[in-house]
Amino acid sequence: MTAPATAPAATLEVRSVTKRFGGVVAVDDVTFSARTGEVLGVMGPNGAGKTTLFNVISGVQRPTSGDVSLRGLPLTGRLVEDVASCGVTRTFQTPVMFWGLTVRESVEVALAAREFGGTYPPSPLRELVPSGLGTSGRLRARAELRERADAILTRAGIAPMADRATESLAFGEERLLELARALAVDPTVLLLDEPLSGLNPDEIEAVIASIRAARASGVAVLLVEHAVGELLAVADRVVVLDHGRMIAQGSPTQVAADPVVIDAYIGDELE
Amino acid sequence: MIASLWQYVLSGVVDGAIFALVAAGFVLIYQVTGLINFAQGEFAMIGAMTAASLATAGMPTPAAAGLAVLAAAVVGAICYLLAIRPARAATGVTLIFITLGLDVALRGLALFVWGTNPLSLNAFSSGNAIQIFGGALPPQALWVLGSDVVVFVALYLFFRHTYAGTAVRAAVANPPIASTFGIPLRTFAFWSFVVAAAIGGIGGVMIAPITSATYDMGLTLGLAGFVAAVLGGLDSLPGALLGGFVLGIVEHVAGGLWSTGWEQGVGFLILVLVLVLRPQGLLGRAARRA
Repeated sequence: MTAPATAPAATLEVRSVTKRFGGVVAVDDVTFSARTGEVLGVMGPNGAGKTTLFNVISGVQRPTSGDVSLRGLPLTGRLVEDVASCGVTRTFQTPVMFWGLTVRESVEVALAAREFGGTYPPSPLRELVPSGLGTSGRLRARAELRERADAILTRAGIAPMADRATESLAFGEERLLELARALAVDPTVLLLDEPLSGLNPDEIEAVIASIRAARASGVAVLLVEHAVGELLAVADRVVVLDHGRMIAQGSPTQVAADPVVIDAYIGDELE
Repeated sequence: MIASLWQYVLSGVVDGAIFALVAAGFVLIYQVTGLINFAQGEFAMIGAMTAASLATAGMPTPAAAGLAVLAAAVVGAICYLLAIRPARAATGVTLIFITLGLDVALRGLALFVWGTNPLSLNAFSSGNAIQIFGGALPPQALWVLGSDVVVFVALYLFFRHTYAGTAVRAAVANPPIASTFGIPLRTFAFWSFVVAAAIGGIGGVMIAPITSATYDMGLTLGLAGFVAAVLGGLDSLPGALLGGFVLGIVEHVAGGLWSTGWEQGVGFLILVLVLVLRPQGLLGRAARRA
């Protein structure tokens, strides 16, 4: 996969971000940008600072120094929910479910989060009365949201399990639902933390198809993945971290041929 | 003997309905914030005392009842904003002690405002006692049971048939992840205190015509509500309902058959048994990975 001929403007800017935990520097003066409609691979061995970087971008942790912005809007210092409302969504190394909700409800709650934006959650009374008395507009909106949730589940390949409780899902199904849920909010930036780990070949194919679809729809996808072959195949550009520092960035071909990267990471992975 | 036993059960159902309302407040706040609010019983006291004092001052009972529930909700909001929210980064134990402090402070405030004399509130409807298979219930019992139906049906509709309710369930299931979808946890925490306080206030208003209202009634109601909530399962609103009725009936039967001094003792004994045999409560879920 090659980068577009004319690169669009940067969507996400990460500038000189450092994150320390006591004496440990997890992320060390990292600067890069992600563009609209591209997959930016983030590579590095365990402990390189990839997940910490995602935590900083998504607002889970504040950087010790440096800042993150989305289309010029500063994200640093905002609450996690505010960063999410700005359009940054993420998944986690271990998929995390909303226990007690069904698969469809999990996507619906994400859709509703996007739908109602800053007024989320919508007034319960406003919702309850129409659903109880049945005004056509409200019911139609509810039906539309449900249809959109079902369409997302169909694209993710998990439509048959829409009514199942999330507690009953297998690991791979959880991963597919987590990705579907993240895409449901129509993100500007999507942070995927090892979305392929623990999946069977069919599930890997489904996840990669979803990533490509997200890119095609204009999402800036940041992809942390230890499956180097798959990452290099799907990414437009790659940044490589090692011990918190960014040691390389460029096209997948450039990075795969970089001796520093091979020495630090890829060599071990491809052997 | 059988007739007496049946009467104890009927009386226990009425008390149990009140315990269930207080327990619902415990469960609601625990589910949304992970906090056990030991001041929950005081919201019922504020509802009862406010309604009784307004009615005594000449306000029509329905208006007094409505304002009393509103007053409890406002106190719940103030408690959250002044005592809980500023300490949200504190440990669970610290927050529990804060709620214990709130409990004492609200009771002290009530003593200051209303004094030690009990206040009475007229029953919401007049008429003879209702006969049920030889047992009797006061007409106010129907209001108590009716308020349980309204509150629990409203909570069910909210949680199961609104997106806001689904969002709360998502936030309850995993607060950090819910926040990454823009679900505002602090707003939910605030409203959980407001709604729990209002529900407690409803309980207080409903029980006041039966027991009268005193400044220290919140302590007893709070303890009973806590036992009922744990009995039914701290993460289960249906459990709060069941726990309330079980506790109310057990206490009244034990008190009737042996001595009123046994009432609370037997209630706590049942709680210990349930916690040993089924730690998550009667309808609660066992601990799961997050």
